[in-house]
Amino acid sequence: MSSTRQQPPDQSTDRTSDAERVDELLRPEKPTEVFRWVVTVVVLVLLAWGLSADIKWSRLLEAPGEFATIVRLMFRDPDWSALPGLLSAMWESIAMAWLGTVIATIFAIPLAFLAAENLVPGWVAFLTRQVFNVLRAVPEIILAVVFIPIFGLGPQAGIMALGVGSIGTLGKLCYEIIEGLDDGPIEAADATGATGVQRLRWAVVPQVLPELASFAMYRFEVNIRASAVLGVVGAGGIGGLLAQYIQFKVWERAGLALVVVVLATILVDAISGRIRRRIIAGPDGTGDVDGDGLPDDLDPDERARLTTDPVGGGAGLS
Amino acid sequence: MSATAPSRRVARPDEPPPSRFGVAMGVLFVVMTALSVVSTGFSLDGIIEDLGRRNDSISGLLNIDLSVITSTRTLTAFVETLQMAVVGTIIGGAAALPLALASTEVGARTTTVRWLVRAFNNVVRAIPDILWALLFVAMVGIGVLPGLLALVFFSIAVTTKLTSDVLDGIDLGPVEAADATGAAHVAKLRTAVVPQILPAYSSFLLYNFELNLRASAVLGLVGAGGIGTRIEFYRSAGRWPEVWGIIVLFFAITFVVERLSIMFRRRLV
Amino acid sequence: MIQFSDASVTYAGGVHAMQHLDLTIEQGEFVVIVGLSGAGKSTLVRAVNGLVPLTGGSLQVDVRPGRSLGGRSEGEPTSYDVVGLTGRRLRDLRAEVGMIFQGFNLVKRTTVLNNVLMGRLHRVPTWRTLLGMYPADDVELAMRALERVEIVDKAYVRASNLSGGQQQRVGIARALAQEPSIILADEPVASLDPPTSHAVMRYLQQINREFGITTIVNLHFLDLATRYADRIVGLRNGELVFDGPGSAADEHVFRDIYGRSLTADDVMGEEERGGDAEAVVTPPTSPA
Ligand SMILES: Nc1ncnc2c1ncn2[C@@H]1O[C@H](COP(=O)(O)OP(=O)(O)OP(=O)(O)O)[C@@H](O)[C@H]1O
Ligand SMILES: [Mg+2]
Repeated sequence: MSSTRQQPPDQSTDRTSDAERVDELLRPEKPTEVFRWVVTVVVLVLLAWGLSADIKWSRLLEAPGEFATIVRLMFRDPDWSALPGLLSAMWESIAMAWLGTVIATIFAIPLAFLAAENLVPGWVAFLTRQVFNVLRAVPEIILAVVFIPIFGLGPQAGIMALGVGSIGTLGKLCYEIIEGLDDGPIEAADATGATGVQRLRWAVVPQVLPELASFAMYRFEVNIRASAVLGVVGAGGIGGLLAQYIQFKVWERAGLALVVVVLATILVDAISGRIRRRIIAGPDGTGDVDGDGLPDDLDPDERARLTTDPVGGGAGLS
Repeated sequence: MSATAPSRRVARPDEPPPSRFGVAMGVLFVVMTALSVVSTGFSLDGIIEDLGRRNDSISGLLNIDLSVITSTRTLTAFVETLQMAVVGTIIGGAAALPLALASTEVGARTTTVRWLVRAFNNVVRAIPDILWALLFVAMVGIGVLPGLLALVFFSIAVTTKLTSDVLDGIDLGPVEAADATGAAHVAKLRTAVVPQILPAYSSFLLYNFELNLRASAVLGLVGAGGIGTRIEFYRSAGRWPEVWGIIVLFFAITFVVERLSIMFRRRLV
Repeated sequence: MIQFSDASVTYAGGVHAMQHLDLTIEQGEFVVIVGLSGAGKSTLVRAVNGLVPLTGGSLQVDVRPGRSLGGRSEGEPTSYDVVGLTGRRLRDLRAEVGMIFQGFNLVKRTTVLNNVLMGRLHRVPTWRTLLGMYPADDVELAMRALERVEIVDKAYVRASNLSGGQQQRVGIARALAQEPSIILADEPVASLDPPTSHAVMRYLQQINREFGITTIVNLHFLDLATRYADRIVGLRNGELVFDGPGSAADEHVFRDIYGRSLTADDVMGEEERGGDAEAVVTPPTSPA
């Protein structure tokens, strides 16, 4: 941050002739760190303002004790009889996440072509991107709330919420991939006299498929987290049981439910993560096939931000 | 007419069998999709039929009521949401830095510490925001406090993950140099590691704030304060025009905040 | 035969990249085009298969299916008026003209064989190409093309795993798999080292000799040009400034084309045999 630092005097030159210069250069003054102070003050003020909300602080004191009690009740004597029901509800959550991801992918790919600036007029791309932005911004659970009157209580509403909610992120990634296509192979396909479809199949699809598949898998992982709680508002999956057990303090079941959710999430993450790595590395396991300087198995969401949005912490990796 | 035979110094390779991985992926896709359809009872016909029917949600959207913003309760709820997001980000983000450091090879003093911290981070990350809210509501009662606590943990999950990914890729040269000077562990982290990740870390905090703002809209659905309480209130009363009004206003606000945050993040890099 | 008559290309930015060019290239010639950067070499080459449309004059390309890898019988010549050619006819022309690129333009994530099979796209029904179900004859042809450039052992390797020289050989095989009557090469060796460059040029020369494929190569290096060309065409500011046999192109001529004295940058230098792994795979000299 201190860019005003001065060069130290050159040691190798003849000292006597440089005497006066050394005198004025040797000890630069410490630069003032205005930026650091401003940030500190702003953060403190914001924190104070935030904490001034209508909060019953006395409750906070009870929290650790409550927490200990709850944890004890949860795991001392879990109610194993609830396990089969929990497992099948968790499976429903996973199935919802899967179908949601499939639906989102089916819609996102064609829409992404409408958002790629190298394929359609600027205003079409702009409008499509705004649709993506809105969909990306809305949490799935809000979508579930407004979908329940349409599709009724149960997994149908949850699947649609996950599907619609994922179109935004998947679409965004897709059009970025499409815009980043290497057009050399496309030109080569044209030069052989290939038709439009053939060009798509042999010059475009092989380039984009691994990233696309990998990102869809990643989205599936994200969707499992979301779908595990959609039941809280009645949109199917394990969230319904979870909310019920916690709200009615059936701790010996709630603990088990939590463990099921956490373990299932970690397990699916691990499997899906391995698959993604394999998809991107390809059969020969080479590291950086797309040659963008980032490892190919980088978390795709992360990559999307690092490569397109110059803000997302690019500094950290560059 | 056939061409002159080229010198066959190299034998043609046999065609490799279709990649087992590719076949496995195909099978996995079909099986997962089929099982999912069966166990959720998903049906396209049902979806199309449902969309064709009249329903409260869609007609609410058509009669959207933006004047909800004038109600003081709604305004207060909006402010609460912002406050929750701010505090969650600051406290959670502050806790995330040491947790991220301790989860990496450079930062952890011993392997045991590293594995313990990693396990903790994984568990925190596996619990979604709204589940935290449910738990805290059960512990400290409804209101802003459980929402705030939920966001603290949610922030820890997000920022720790992002930061430790960056930590994996830092330049180890300075760390080696610090070791060579005999620096103590914490001093080494402070001088050789933290400066390398600071810009990324600050940008993650702002990003985390955007996520928190969005998350804080849903926490109210389970009684954890913020604008979600109003959404839940109108929803249970069946007042869909108001529900949509709040949703749209909320996203207008998050949009503005996001633009600001992106502006700051640009400055940081 | 390729015949430019009073042909011009003016790009959208107003650059005159080809000005009133009159040039005739006979079937089977090996022509090297030289000129400074920006002289219009790429423009000329890309005009032949319609990748760059003419903005004036005319261009006629006659293709005569000749001897080829697949043993295609010599057919009736077809004549294309390239100006205004679109759709099916344009693709027909392009299928007769193989192209080799400076940047190889391979699909890196798929196998070498799939890349070479792109050369068969025009001949195979679209539904088959979509499913990747190429007829055995076409696969055989692709294999032969790979054998021609001695890289058949890599047929099932992903293109990304090949070195630059190997990738360019795959590029040549892709063009060859089209069974073309014309091959265009736009600076095919600009990203390769000297021994590899010589190897690539020799493959092109051999293919030209053996199958009688008209070959047009853009080159930056003068010694490569004089060594491999039957005929050298010099361009300057989009105009023809030299046209003659390779042997006639001496230093004075190049000074004319380049508008300045020659420097070390203008020559590539001799190939150093045996020094580089790439150099070991030199083609057998003149099989014909
Ligand atoms: N697509 C284009 N749009 C506008 N101007 C172009 C385009 N392509 C080439 N030009 C211009 O036309 C002129 C000739 O370009 P061309 O690519 O044919 O030259 P070249 O001889 O191949 O040069 P190089 O050796 O650098 O490849 C140049 O001034 C170039 O800037
Ligand atoms: Mg060029």
